[in-house]
Amino acid sequence: MLRFILSRIGMAVPTVLLVAVVVFFLIRLVPGDPAALLLGDMASPESVAALRSDLGLDKNILTQFAIWLTNVFQGDLGTSITTKEPVAHLVIERFKVSAGIVLVAVALASLAAVPAGFIAALRQNSKLDLTLVSIAALLLSIPTFWLGLVILLIFGLKLGWLPVVGYVSVAEDPSRGLLYVLMPILTLFLHEIGVLLRMARASALEVLRLDYITHARAKGLPERTVLWRHVFPNAFAPTLTLIGLVLGNMLGGIAVVETVFTIPGLGRLLVDAIFGRDYPVIQGCLLFIAVIYVLVNLIVDLCYPLFDPRVKIT
Amino acid sequence: MKTLSANAMVGGLFVGAFVIAACIGSVWTPYDPMAIDMKARLAGPSTQHLLGADEFGRDVLSRLMLGASASGIVSLATVAIATVLGTALGSISGYLGGWTDRVLVAVTNALLAFPGILLALGLLAIFGANKYGIVLALGIAYTPSVARIVRGTVLSLREREFIDASRVSGDTEMYTLLRHILPNCIAPLTVLSTSMFGWTLLSESALSFLGLGVPPPAPTWGNMLAAARPYLAQAAWLAIFPGLCISIVLLGINLLGDALRDRLDPKMRGMQ
Amino acid sequence: MNRRQRLAASAAALALTLTCGPAAAETLKIALNADIRSLDPGVNRDANSDAVVLHMVEGLVAYSEDASVKPLLAKEVAVSDDDLTYTFTLRDGVKFHNGNVLTAADVVWNWSRYMDEATKWRCRNDFAEGGAAHVISVTAPDDQTVVFKLEKPNALFQATLARTDCGMTGILDKSSFNADGSFNVPVGTGPFRYKEWRKGEFIDLEAFADYAVRSEEKRDGYTGAKRPLVEAVRFAVIPDRSSAKAALLNGDIDIVPDVPYADVEEFKQNADTAVSLATNPGIVALLLQTRDPLLKDMRIRKAIAMALDTKTMVEGITLGLGKANNSLIPPTSQYHSAAQAQGYSYDPEAAKALLQEAGYNGQPIKLIANTRYSNTYDAAIVAQAMLQQVGITAELEVLEWAAQLDRYQSSNYTAMVFPYSGRYDPALTMDSVMGNKDKEPRKVWDDPDAQAMLADAVRYSDPAKRQELFDKLHARFLETVPFIMLYNGLEASAYQKHVQNYAASIFSMPRAWEVTIAE
Repeated sequence: MLRFILSRIGMAVPTVLLVAVVVFFLIRLVPGDPAALLLGDMASPESVAALRSDLGLDKNILTQFAIWLTNVFQGDLGTSITTKEPVAHLVIERFKVSAGIVLVAVALASLAAVPAGFIAALRQNSKLDLTLVSIAALLLSIPTFWLGLVILLIFGLKLGWLPVVGYVSVAEDPSRGLLYVLMPILTLFLHEIGVLLRMARASALEVLRLDYITHARAKGLPERTVLWRHVFPNAFAPTLTLIGLVLGNMLGGIAVVETVFTIPGLGRLLVDAIFGRDYPVIQGCLLFIAVIYVLVNLIVDLCYPLFDPRVKIT
Repeated sequence: MKTLSANAMVGGLFVGAFVIAACIGSVWTPYDPMAIDMKARLAGPSTQHLLGADEFGRDVLSRLMLGASASGIVSLATVAIATVLGTALGSISGYLGGWTDRVLVAVTNALLAFPGILLALGLLAIFGANKYGIVLALGIAYTPSVARIVRGTVLSLREREFIDASRVSGDTEMYTLLRHILPNCIAPLTVLSTSMFGWTLLSESALSFLGLGVPPPAPTWGNMLAAARPYLAQAAWLAIFPGLCISIVLLGINLLGDALRDRLDPKMRGMQ
Repeated sequence: MNRRQRLAASAAALALTLTCGPAAAETLKIALNADIRSLDPGVNRDANSDAVVLHMVEGLVAYSEDASVKPLLAKEVAVSDDDLTYTFTLRDGVKFHNGNVLTAADVVWNWSRYMDEATKWRCRNDFAEGGAAHVISVTAPDDQTVVFKLEKPNALFQATLARTDCGMTGILDKSSFNADGSFNVPVGTGPFRYKEWRKGEFIDLEAFADYAVRSEEKRDGYTGAKRPLVEAVRFAVIPDRSSAKAALLNGDIDIVPDVPYADVEEFKQNADTAVSLATNPGIVALLLQTRDPLLKDMRIRKAIAMALDTKTMVEGITLGLGKANNSLIPPTSQYHSAAQAQGYSYDPEAAKALLQEAGYNGQPIKLIANTRYSNTYDAAIVAQAMLQQVGITAELEVLEWAAQLDRYQSSNYTAMVFPYSGRYDPALTMDSVMGNKDKEPRKVWDDPDAQAMLADAVRYSDPAKRQELFDKLHARFLETVPFIMLYNGLEASAYQKHVQNYAASIFSMPRAWEVTIAE
């Protein structure tokens, strides 16, 4: 078990390192100068140059990279160019916000979509299946920002049930905090139902086609036993992997929903940092997202044998 | 299969309508899609402008038609790039194995460690926010998905008898790869391509929404939608029609994709 | 805590929230389109930072509603005959937020902090050696008097002190700083004091009960009456415009300082909201590369100016709310004379003739714009269509703002629509566009004769003399077309009708003082 974890982490290190290198150099290839952006349209070249040297941007790019990497290995992601806050702190604070919303939305969506997907697969080609598949296809066909905007207009504006802007931490004030995250959660929830229902259905269909299910049925085992013993456990494991994948993707990427609902999350931080050419924040965010992705996948793999008796981790 | 093929019919109908609209749009539109007419500013749907006019008085229907071909070409090109790059990487990786495989897998994993849209954001900033930038950025972002599938297929086939037979009969590695292995990837890749086409449509609109899509004034559905946001209250049609277009085409593609998946590749699991 | 206690506690908490209801209504909630950068006046700032900080911090002098400079912390300012010595007399009984009384020594101490390179004050170079307003000494002969001595006369000395981007050279109490000298939070003399800044979310200020009110009856720009009439102010960060609009419509927000022109009519029609408009000195210009092989020909630049119907263009872009202005001096300025009202003559036929004479035959001109400042993008779209009418092929290149700024700074463009932020004295505005392109590539008006006139306008403080110079400069600007001035920034602020006495201003920054909330 430990060896498995270590070897997986060992395999992930080059991936994350590659991410670090690519991000560092790519972002510096992008036209636009953080110092000029900070100082605005009327800044003199001298003050821009002075700020660049303050920020260490006048140094050779390889030197800059060496400094950054050394600091990263010591756990220091640097400070934001625009707000002067430590990047690690910024990233973690913002991540908590995004992660809360994503986890709740994905958990709820899984609870709704996985059983629905399995049922659809069992009744493949029935009216119910057709309805569920169509709903999923429909939900998937609506761009999230569009869905978010419609939800915002309905619940926030027309009905006036929910606050339209702002954010209150749930940890700080649970009842009010919840009001602010309801709409973003609903938006993501609806979208993810579409994604997960299709996945769960496909996983279950695959298992149903397998020979041993046919055998089990042929042996005359009651349908209920077939389902609970053979179909669900085997279909659940791949579904779990896919949920993990979705989670890994979304933890770094709900910028669009965060923009619609003005949620101070990680995605928004990254987009703002890209517009502001805030190099340390961009690097910190992307590195963090890569690490999260790797970790989520690792956790999913570790959970796999819990659900799939055929797989053993050695 | 009856009901699902009904779904596939509907899907095919939507996609077909899209293709026709795109084809017509690239040669003829009711108005010049770029012509400004301040008098028709934010004019609602009427006999003159069937789907209304936008904030510069440009005809929405004309822009949607031109946008269909623009969005269609962007999506097609993206899928093409991802498929070509991914197939090349995946087959080399799977067929050669060893260090080449390890390095390529590390690269693919690094690419996969970014949510597609974030990767595209970064790449877009470098390539420049224009049509070609989008195609390159999204193409690269989707490459690992293709590479994974191709590599998996190659790996599972490499040791099979008919491959050995081909080798033993003196065929070159290249020939074996092209003749015997890659055709087996066609089914899963067709399914993936339909999905990727949909992803690109969606991603392009999301990138536009974040301000990094295909730059106006050339219309795509995504940037039309993004530009419509400030006018939501006065001119809802500006947002409704491109939104509807995206949803209808995506729905068509999703339905078609599902049917394709059931027909071509029962083993393929969900989406990537 | 057992379960019953816990229940009781949450009930009490609920009751507390309910009773807090009316008090919370006394908070004026203003939307900001982005978070502020810092609370340190004139250091690591942008317009939003200035807007917030200037509620807490005040300087000796400040801009009034018409962009002239008037005393704020100072009671009066005496200037010596040789224009080299400025004597500021402080008002009596001005208190900092912590109760300390403002003295001349505070001003001297703050000045030395600002002039310390380590402070990184944005305006240090203007006052340092080699700067336009080099200050050679600042002394405090007594508690109420501060004397600034300049190296050479400079009509813009006070105008520079008062600049909002300099943080108004705000005077801070020493308790604003940590023990190691680093900045903590502003303890100033302004009508509101700092309460909390939650990054990415909001900045909370509360009324300063001991605010030393000036004797004027009315609000006057950043000086005049500045009473804090609401209990608290919250600047809420709402980056998305549609969300800000929704928040205003359902009452979560009281004031949105910058709404899109397209929404103005809706807010005017709405029974609960109202709109206030103000033209600011920011300029939107079509920059032309005078070193481009094509555009270096003045005839082609003139033809472009003649091809643009700026009046129609600006009416279109601003939906009839704004007016074109081809002068660098905004219509709100005391220097906007009849001569300044003279603009380019729109004449497509003459433009065509001039193009033919210059031998232009359809060579494409790349026109850069961005979508961050949507009005500049709109201007580029309309300009492109108008140029098409006279046969000029303009190709639009839409860049991200950071990339466009890069191209601007390095002068790497043929043509671009560019928004300049506001400067309140015309000479400051001109200084930011005029200069030698070899030395400063970003400058867009490179003309030694005009430069000499500008130098005079900076040296002399006599308004009549300055007017004459500005009029001459404008005539030359129209004649040589170094670039094309389209219009001044226009800000539309929308607010709840229960908010009283709120007004947009030339500063394009929300002001919470003298504003009340009706029951």
